[in-house]
Amino acid sequence: MTLPSHLLDAIASAAVREGLADAVYTRLRTPIGTLLIVQGEEGVVRVGFEEEPEDALLAQVAARLGPRIVASDRELTATRDVVSAYFEGEDETLDLPVDMSLVRSDFRRAALKTLRDEVHVGEVVTYGALATRIGHPKAARAVGSACATNPVPIIVPCHRVLPGSGGVGSYGGGPERKRQLLAHEGATVQG
Amino acid sequence: MHGRSHPRDLPRCTDVSAVVLPPFWSLVESHGDELLVHARRIAGDANGEDVLQDALLRALRAYPRLRHAEHLRAWLYRVTTTTALDHLRRRRREVLTDSPPEQVTQPEHYDDSFEVLIGDLPETAQSALRLRFVEDLDYDCIAHRLGTSTVAARQRVSTAIRTLRTQGTPA
Repeated sequence: MTLPSHLLDAIASAAVREGLADAVYTRLRTPIGTLLIVQGEEGVVRVGFEEEPEDALLAQVAARLGPRIVASDRELTATRDVVSAYFEGEDETLDLPVDMSLVRSDFRRAALKTLRDEVHVGEVVTYGALATRIGHPKAARAVGSACATNPVPIIVPCHRVLPGSGGVGSYGGGPERKRQLLAHEGATVQG
Repeated sequence: MHGRSHPRDLPRCTDVSAVVLPPFWSLVESHGDELLVHARRIAGDANGEDVLQDALLRALRAYPRLRHAEHLRAWLYRVTTTTALDHLRRRRREVLTDSPPEQVTQPEHYDDSFEVLIGDLPETAQSALRLRFVEDLDYDCIAHRLGTSTVAARQRVSTAIRTLRTQGTPA
């Protein structure tokens, strides 16, 4: 039993309006399962796949942005629309502000930022090539860790980073999802 | 009097651990429905939702300043009670608008408003309400402090709430 949704909506919206929410989250149904999207003042801070425990995920955000976390589909309408447009193929740019504060090192942040800015829909890049782009050509493995711990998958497109040896390689949401996302974007995977 | 401390001989009721507050909405999802029932019981069915919204916003304002993550459910009950009682008090004032204004306007202080509201009740009822909503104790602890059974403690608190509600309702 929870409260009627009109009341939950009213409370969450009032909280956001009065600047009392450290972050807002919403659950969005997509072809790759229900995503949990968490947004702070600066932008989307966390995207979770449906098998990730929600409590732990929100606690992780709370530890960084603060515990005043509320749920509201209504307050995140714009974000939901952008993510839905991606999956529906209407507009695949995922043009959303992103908050990288859950990324734990400057190196990882640089790798993810370059990935987001430079590797667009339909393109792929190898871990090694991305490492070279950020000026650390020998750091392919570290780029792999940056991708593996990416707190904002899909929006920061770590699914577009592939092993130099061929195949799709690993993915936080599982290789099958990575394959699905790449197919959706029309990207060609070698091997 | 507020800010009174817990007696030292009741560790079970006063345990304080490191502050790791759960995401606020998890509290709303776990306790929202029972808090709504509580708000309705004090402020009346028609006002329950408004009171609860108001109470949860108050709670949200105070949430990051909490010094411990214990008894969060009891804390939400207390905030809801105070908010509901404030609501009754405002309504009572509206009924009395024809009478001359009180000499001193009561400052909007959280705990003062609680004390003012319970001021007309018998001392036994007042202390039961304080233990429940100011000190956040559960009924076992309240019973221990009052020297009664748990059932009697629960009864004393609910009777006191009922009395307040009747007082707040225009005849």
